[in-house]
Amino acid sequence: MAILVDKKTRVLVQGITGNEGSRAAKEMLSYGTRVLAGVTPSKGGQEIHGVPVYDTVREAKNRHPEINASLIVVPAFAVKDAAIEAISAGIPLINILTELVSPKDCSEIIAWAKIKGARVIGPASVGVISPGKGKIGSIGSADVDKIFTSGPVGVISKSGGMTSEISIILSRAGIGQSTAIGIGGEQLIGSGFSDLLMLFEQDPQTKAVVLFGEVGGGYEEQVAKHIKSKKITKPIVAVIAGKFTNRLPHGTVLGHAGAIVGKGAGSYRSKIRALKSAGVILADVLEDIPEAVKKLI
Amino acid sequence: MKLYEFEGQNLFKKYGIPVPESVLISKTGQKINFDPPYMLKAQVLSGDRKKAGGIMSANSQSSAQKAIAALLKKEVNFEPVKKVLAAKKLNPLAEYYLSFSYDTGSQGPVFAVSPKGGSGIANADVFPIDIIFGLRPFVVREYLAKAGFISDDITKVADIAQKLWQLFLDENLVLSEINPLIKTKKKEFIAADSKIITKTRRRVEHLGGDIAILASGGGASVLSIDALIEAGGDPANYTEYSGNPSAELVMELTKEVLGQKNLKGCWVVGGTANFTDIFETLSGFVRGLRQIKPKPAYPIVIRRDGPRQKEAAEMLRAVAKKEGYNFHVFGSETSIASSARTIVDLSYKNKK
Repeated sequence: MAILVDKKTRVLVQGITGNEGSRAAKEMLSYGTRVLAGVTPSKGGQEIHGVPVYDTVREAKNRHPEINASLIVVPAFAVKDAAIEAISAGIPLINILTELVSPKDCSEIIAWAKIKGARVIGPASVGVISPGKGKIGSIGSADVDKIFTSGPVGVISKSGGMTSEISIILSRAGIGQSTAIGIGGEQLIGSGFSDLLMLFEQDPQTKAVVLFGEVGGGYEEQVAKHIKSKKITKPIVAVIAGKFTNRLPHGTVLGHAGAIVGKGAGSYRSKIRALKSAGVILADVLEDIPEAVKKLI
Repeated sequence: MKLYEFEGQNLFKKYGIPVPESVLISKTGQKINFDPPYMLKAQVLSGDRKKAGGIMSANSQSSAQKAIAALLKKEVNFEPVKKVLAAKKLNPLAEYYLSFSYDTGSQGPVFAVSPKGGSGIANADVFPIDIIFGLRPFVVREYLAKAGFISDDITKVADIAQKLWQLFLDENLVLSEINPLIKTKKKEFIAADSKIITKTRRRVEHLGGDIAILASGGGASVLSIDALIEAGGDPANYTEYSGNPSAELVMELTKEVLGQKNLKGCWVVGGTANFTDIFETLSGFVRGLRQIKPKPAYPIVIRRDGPRQKEAAEMLRAVAKKEGYNFHVFGSETSIASSARTIVDLSYKNKK
């Protein structure tokens, strides 16, 4: 088992003819993930790494009804249309790699996904990997087998880089991952920590989960709330970045668009306090994660 | 990025939101070209400027000039005051609060509103906005009624709310806030203060310390500053430049970051890159470094890994040897936390 991605995942890549889209397709194929089709409007009929390209998602889905996930790698201005196109075609899992999608577009995509019952990961998501089973997105890139190994720990991170960094630290300590997910650093994202923790609840392979959070938004505070109401019961180790941000004025935006310095809810202190009171183990530095996890599994 | 009040006020004007008569003053002696009474407001980003003495009032041109001179010499929460907004002092009958922002709980925009606004605002009613249905005028009126606005004010406030919403969407904002929206005795509605946060960020955020930082990676950069402080270091700045930047961009950023005063060390740090060409990045760094006068003698700790890291490390060693820089180069075998301790130890070895 794992969550979101497994051997039955059949991927469509929207934006497959672009540099990033073509690279992601190639990486997924070489990881053994079945990429059935790509879509780029006005580029129908081409092939990218042997994958047929169509003009519309509808056409790709008609030719390949097994498609059950779409990776979106189109320019930011076109993401909303591409995502709603995939949602309308009934694709249940949508992973958006593109960065700098406007918050308004993010909220529209999320609203349509709720109406149609699709799950969105991202925008600005590096991808999802279930080691040994498959991956969506550019997660892991060339060193994917060195970084990710199969095992009992889920990884959920707002930062793409940190998804890999945490997984490699776990793998070096002999601890494999069930599924690792970069949820994206935008302010509004399709799936927050809680949404995915609830999927991990149902996954027998996952015994514990590592979170990488940072200042901004209320995704970490939500986790604490759901632990207290017993919707989330599996043990969690978390690293929260941004202790120093009390030195910066309210409204400062850091490396990720969603990392907005604020007072009260969303601040470093609010997150630490909420997670601690819910019994989440907090690691000060990444290197402390393996020891903390070993005690839980 | 938070905008200054006067920048927000300019946006209000652009979207037809009424603002008080005002003039921006950046040096003493500059006359105010309308009649008193005045509000004199320090243009700083700190949220508590009233408490910190950044807002004064004056009933004459001459007392206004004194207040402006005092404000321009002041620091508000460590931020020097470079500009003062002189505005017409209004006679409020009531002060209201209006804002639009995004909520990660409802995963969409929210409208926050209160008939009891002003600097001491404690609570606002928060209403989620259905982005697909849109913010219909009648919905705004319903929300205002629910929040306790009197019947007489509802249409006028709703009209301003609609303009604030357009501004919020069209300018791609994270927050658009009017506090207070003043209702004058003449029953005019005027946005007396603005708070606008855009989605963009500054290239460099100054933190006031003595170790300059060039960090890569959205998450890694933030974690790195935490690690530096944990190790006892005092960061001079926050900056982040991931996404395979060109050598030119890194050079410009290096010049800006190493141009800060009173540095005792420099830390170039990042996680293990997937695509970023480390040789290109560090070549840009060296080009920027060469332009810093006087030539930095302080320690420079570089912790980078990813494509072409080995070539980059060799290049750095050669440059250090030939040009006499104090480089200490590490790859991903050294953790970010441990390289933080190294730069702190080296920077403060002879001092502190």
